[in-house]
Amino acid sequence: MSATMDDVQSPGRDGSRSLLKMVGIHKWFGQVHALRGVDFEVTKGEVVGLVGDNGAGKSTLIKVASGYHRADEGQIFFEGQEVKIHSTKNTRDLGIETVYQEQALAPHLSIARNIFMGREPSTFLGFMDTETMNNRSMDALTGMGLKLRSPETMVSTLSGGQRQGVAIARALNFKAKLVILDEPTIALSVKEVQEVLDFVRGLKEKDIAVIYITHTLYHVYSVADRIVVMAHGKTLEDVPTRDTSVDELSDIIVKSTLGE
Amino acid sequence: MQNVTVARPRLKRVNLGGLSTPIAFLLAMLIFAIFSPGHRFLDPRNLGAMAKLTPDMGVVALGVGMLMIAGEFDLSIASVLPFCSYIFTQFLIAGLDPFVAFVLVLPIGAAFGLINGLIVVRTGLPSFIITLSTMLFWRGLLYGVSHMMPISILPYVPSDSPLAHLLTGQIGPVPVQILWFLAFALILGLILHRNKFGNWVYATGSNQDAAIAMGINVSLVKVACYMLIGFLCAFAAVMQSVRLGSFAATQGIGFELKAIAAVVVGGTSLRGGVGSMLGIALGVFIIQIIENGLILMQVPVFGVETFIGIAVILFVVLNNLTNRQFASQSA
Repeated sequence: MSATMDDVQSPGRDGSRSLLKMVGIHKWFGQVHALRGVDFEVTKGEVVGLVGDNGAGKSTLIKVASGYHRADEGQIFFEGQEVKIHSTKNTRDLGIETVYQEQALAPHLSIARNIFMGREPSTFLGFMDTETMNNRSMDALTGMGLKLRSPETMVSTLSGGQRQGVAIARALNFKAKLVILDEPTIALSVKEVQEVLDFVRGLKEKDIAVIYITHTLYHVYSVADRIVVMAHGKTLEDVPTRDTSVDELSDIIVKSTLGE
Repeated sequence: MQNVTVARPRLKRVNLGGLSTPIAFLLAMLIFAIFSPGHRFLDPRNLGAMAKLTPDMGVVALGVGMLMIAGEFDLSIASVLPFCSYIFTQFLIAGLDPFVAFVLVLPIGAAFGLINGLIVVRTGLPSFIITLSTMLFWRGLLYGVSHMMPISILPYVPSDSPLAHLLTGQIGPVPVQILWFLAFALILGLILHRNKFGNWVYATGSNQDAAIAMGINVSLVKVACYMLIGFLCAFAAVMQSVRLGSFAATQGIGFELKAIAAVVVGGTSLRGGVGSMLGIALGVFIIQIIENGLILMQVPVFGVETFIGIAVILFVVLNNLTNRQFASQSA
């Protein structure tokens, strides 16, 4: 019998505002059992930090959520309805946008072509509407406070922070309900990190949910409503931010690494 | 987010990376125009001969270039082309109308490409190895079924026949073959640079993981490119056979490396993600110009191949240098 939304008890969450719920997720890569029955939920407008050491399963979990990988077992619910996720296109159609750790940008393409990669507005016979792409790209970047000279600028010429901005602008351009940020502050300057964190706060104000994956506990602690700690493919802790501290989280992660 | 403004690049110079191929094309024309004995390079008969010969490899190179932009290789064109020519010849011998035979062989060529594409995407093995293997396989099979005997097709497609006029005729002083080449270059250029499929080709070659993450079916992109090459091989095979008046199992030998050389000289990166249809077309012309010019200058055959090899290396180095220079100036 398949689990329903009510079967999974999660502390402190309002089921009616549940956006994404993953129940009993298993994922194998050959012999490696990367996810071992993970339950995970995020509600509308909530920022959930997903932390853990290397190999904990964080990236695998969000890649299942984003459709990059397919779960081997388990169920996924979106806005209360069970969904079958077969591809990244499925999840993007649902309103789940992912900003990958590697930003998932094609360096030899322009900003506009990257923002619309896979979803190019087209006219007759699939010919791209480049004017719309350029205009909407500039609007998306300007909306984030990014001023770049031209949407036809090649991504390979941008700095790390600017590329991150383009990747985030891409996620926002398509009216996301849930934005997944995988290590969004890696290789960014202090100023750029603050900009990303301000941006996350801005998403929350717009009632857009965020899953924020990171190794940097101080960053996620300052913006998350709730923090989930993973280790060895399982969830160890799922706690409101106000009920924990950076030191406590760090302790949990270190102990999990040592096998305690 | 705070305003982050990119400082206007100091770049006042032109992007040399984009101009190296056109400059090389003009230089090659100039050098051989000046140094060929009696300036025969610019003789209309010589230019006409080049215009007839260039598209045999050139048409296929356009497809090879698109595939290389997507990050893969196809060496099997050297065998698929003569095999398509053989099939066309057999259709004619069987009594099919030449136009019907021509139309039928085109999807057969695409089927060769489909086989290559499916093996590459399903196995995940390097396409260089896969298509090297299929090249050898098809060549062996062709030698077996044809016994390496040339077959004349003049009784079926005489030089004044409609198909011959369509594929090898003249419009004024201009051979139709070069018009076909330019037409294919234009159509494929529009697809590559203006169509969303073209964006998927670039995305697949530039960052395949990103393309997958953005929902692009990269397997479909690659298979489509392989099928395009197969189609172009079939077209070029018939065009070449009609021009020669015969099938020969040795048609297309060496095309695989010459096509890659033309594509690389045209500025396409061996790593994928970089290139243009204009560059590929110019690269085809440059290779042909070098070959033709050196022959006119009575350089021995081995010298021609050596020179083309040196030219390819120089172009790769030059393209890398100018692309790096432009990137550092724009950053």
